[in-house]
Amino acid sequence: MNASGIKTGLGAYTALFLVFLYGPLVVLAILSFQTGPEGGPQFPIIEWSTYWYKHLFGLTPPSRIAPLPIEQALVRSLGLAVMTMIVSTVLGVTAAQAFRRKFRGSGVVFYLIVLGMMVPGVLVGLGMALVANTLGIDRHWWSTAFVLHVVYTFPFAFLVMLAIFNRFDPSMEEASWSLGVTPARTFRKVTFPLIFPGVLSAMLFAFTLSYDEFSRTLFASGRDLTLPLAIYGTFSVEVHPNVFAFGVLTTLFSFALLGTYAALMMLSVRRAKRVAIQEEA
Amino acid sequence: MSMMAVAEETEMEPVVEKKSPGKALWLLAPGVIWMSLFLVLPMLMMVYVSFWTQTTFTIEPTLTLKSWITFFTSDTYLGALWTTVRIWLIVLVATVLVGYPAALFVGLFVKNKALQTVLLVLCVIPFWTSFLIRVLAWRPMLGKEGAINMILMNLGITDAPIEVLLFSELSVIIGMTQIYCVFMVGPIAFMLGRIDTSIIEAAQDLGAGFWRIFRTIILPLSMPGVVVGAIFVSVMVLGEFATSAALSGRKVNLLGNIIVTQVGSLKWAFAAVAGVVLTILMGAVVAALLRVVDLRKEL
Amino acid sequence: MSTVLQLKSITKTYGDMRALSGIDLALPGDAYISLLGPSGSGKTTLLRVIAGFEQPDGGAILFDGKRIDTVAPHKRGIGFVFQNFALFPHLSVAQNIAYGLENRDVDPVTDRRVVDARVRDIISLVGLSGLEGRAVTQISGGQRQRVALARTLVTEPRMVLLDEPLGALDANLRARMRAELRAIRERCGVTFLHVTGSEAEALAMGDTVLVLESGRIAQSADSDTVYNRPASPAVARFLNCYNLFQGRIEAGAFVGGAGRFALGASAPTRAATPAYAIRYDRVSVRPRDAAIGEDEIRIEANFVASEYSGAAVNSFFALDDGRVFEVESHLSHAAPETYAEQGRYALVWKREDALVYA
Repeated sequence: MNASGIKTGLGAYTALFLVFLYGPLVVLAILSFQTGPEGGPQFPIIEWSTYWYKHLFGLTPPSRIAPLPIEQALVRSLGLAVMTMIVSTVLGVTAAQAFRRKFRGSGVVFYLIVLGMMVPGVLVGLGMALVANTLGIDRHWWSTAFVLHVVYTFPFAFLVMLAIFNRFDPSMEEASWSLGVTPARTFRKVTFPLIFPGVLSAMLFAFTLSYDEFSRTLFASGRDLTLPLAIYGTFSVEVHPNVFAFGVLTTLFSFALLGTYAALMMLSVRRAKRVAIQEEA
Repeated sequence: MSMMAVAEETEMEPVVEKKSPGKALWLLAPGVIWMSLFLVLPMLMMVYVSFWTQTTFTIEPTLTLKSWITFFTSDTYLGALWTTVRIWLIVLVATVLVGYPAALFVGLFVKNKALQTVLLVLCVIPFWTSFLIRVLAWRPMLGKEGAINMILMNLGITDAPIEVLLFSELSVIIGMTQIYCVFMVGPIAFMLGRIDTSIIEAAQDLGAGFWRIFRTIILPLSMPGVVVGAIFVSVMVLGEFATSAALSGRKVNLLGNIIVTQVGSLKWAFAAVAGVVLTILMGAVVAALLRVVDLRKEL
Repeated sequence: MSTVLQLKSITKTYGDMRALSGIDLALPGDAYISLLGPSGSGKTTLLRVIAGFEQPDGGAILFDGKRIDTVAPHKRGIGFVFQNFALFPHLSVAQNIAYGLENRDVDPVTDRRVVDARVRDIISLVGLSGLEGRAVTQISGGQRQRVALARTLVTEPRMVLLDEPLGALDANLRARMRAELRAIRERCGVTFLHVTGSEAEALAMGDTVLVLESGRIAQSADSDTVYNRPASPAVARFLNCYNLFQGRIEAGAFVGGAGRFALGASAPTRAATPAYAIRYDRVSVRPRDAAIGEDEIRIEANFVASEYSGAAVNSFFALDDGRVFEVESHLSHAAPETYAEQGRYALVWKREDALVYA
């Protein structure tokens, strides 16, 4: 057996694997440029057009195909994602901060938190709906669905921050205290700036996961739809290329988010470098 | 002199006030309370409600085993349980088979760190796009007039479109395998990346062939990665309902789908029973996998 | 000299391990105090207890006459210099130094100009001029050490604790920083408590040397006394310049594995176990047949090896029971002698030079 033959074979396989990962999305993107309203969600492309993108924004004359209810849904989804991001990042940072000291029962608490990302959305969603029913509480995206989103994203933020604190040198904080600075101010002036890249990652995780979440939302959000629920609603009916067009846009949005995150990280790294280089000269 | 007086005064007094051990408690309290109220309580509620009495449109807190008996005597529910287990096993095996070679290439064969990172990022990027859109993207691929059938017919491999590709169990398996194999590739590639390549080179110097090296060195060392990946995939596949809803045309009903339809028709107690069964199934699967590998140690 | 810090029977245990078992000490103001201890003797724990990073299990700490053991670290007014310096990597040299002034809870300095002036003064005091704007990741180890010191000194603490401050520096720099630390301290007039595991460093730097031995203060004296009259066999062993023998006192002589040594006129020092100590540089090596004086003690041993260390040469001999005996000869006294490999020699010292513990 020669190793280079195997390497070539595995390389070719990995290329195919990437086609398998990306192929459907590429096909979906191509079909989103199908002509409308008569063009369907399949090949061949009758004529290239941006009809379905205009349709999405209500810029086309009314047709038999109902527009996706995305405007309100987008606002709700973004609002929900921002709320979830803030709360789960705060919870994640504080819980991870507590885990820096050993304490009894830390194992139980660790698993309690991690459980939040393990338990499927259907189960917590159902449970929350039952609790809300029993207590006679109305379900809304900003109440019952929101708390479940945090249950889901808080563990991610927690694990990210745990990894960050593992590499954090506590003598930096002790140095600050010994200079007469209160623990609270030390956290703000020393700890937080140093863990900020981690906080940014935790925020990105929380926002993306929440923005995309639908199984918990399905049970716990009541009548008002979020974006994923609007897409989920199309599953049971005939799909038109407008959903594909929406898919392209939302994918671009995710990439833009990822790009912003990467740019912010790069900026903070480069700033540290620039200070150094400037002084070197 | 006065200092000495103070010293004498305080000398024997023991130090009682410890540095607040309660500080950690205050930091933990919000998270723990949140998880207790919004995760543990709903799960307990689900167990509780599974013993309530179901009437046509409401449930009453009169304890009964009726819903449980209905579940375990109904072909629909038992069928859904069996389908869930079957799909889970098939997808689990499929993600390992599809993901392992790619992980092997990325984790072990790519020596260039930059290329390795690029390949891993390429594998992870789809994770950042909408899950539902990724599921939906399989429709124009697998349909009767979809991309795959079109390619097959243009190449002359088949004369008529293969209809079983979409709205079947196969399409659900294909879709789930594509979506979840990333969670298998990551952990396996991570474990493979930690293998010291000098061991493999030493084995090669001793004349061991690739398969022998694979069986005796690579496979055992990557097993923790496979198990971690299996935990991820299992937890997600067992809780699935969207992929089957989108790609099976209601032909495949998982326990998740049962819960969704039961809730839709306000059969809360039945939904709760299905939920408890799913919880037990998942708990058993995860516990079994955790016996193979200590998750906290490996990550 | 007024007492600035006083510790009264401070104890601290970690699980089953007793790190500090009843520390009593009083430190004078405006002095350089070195705290010497082997690794695991509890010296870092003691420093962290004084700074408030760790809580003692029992005892009292008085600083300026006030009890501080229940006071939070940031309210103690005691500076701390870490072995790894613990500089703030996101701040420049000047920002690191200004940090304490600007952010402290009590009496923060808000006037930019005052901060700048004080930072400038301290920067020139520690010799960092020209590096103000540098990132702390872009300066050398010795410069980081100075930043750490300046950052603490600028807040004008009454006392500074230094945890092996020279441990992270290379040998060359360490020697230079010793003198500089002493000079800086003298100019500021604060008390330095300098923890170190190196006997040479402790003796060279401390006005007072404290020796910590398994959680207790074994000796507290000036360098000269510690060096010439270690309070216990343990201190002598740790000073790394005494040959030690175990044994017992019998009829005016010390009897041990190496033979019978007649005692001098001075009374033995009290200790838990009897021991006999002779300093490396008090021993002379002679041919076997050379005569000895009446007040001298002689044993025989086989030469093993020599080691040059600049101004002195250390020779190692194997005693008949296999133990190593070390002799230090200063090159200023005589040209180095060469001994025959495995040759047998007489090792001779004066009775009065030996330290006897009983």
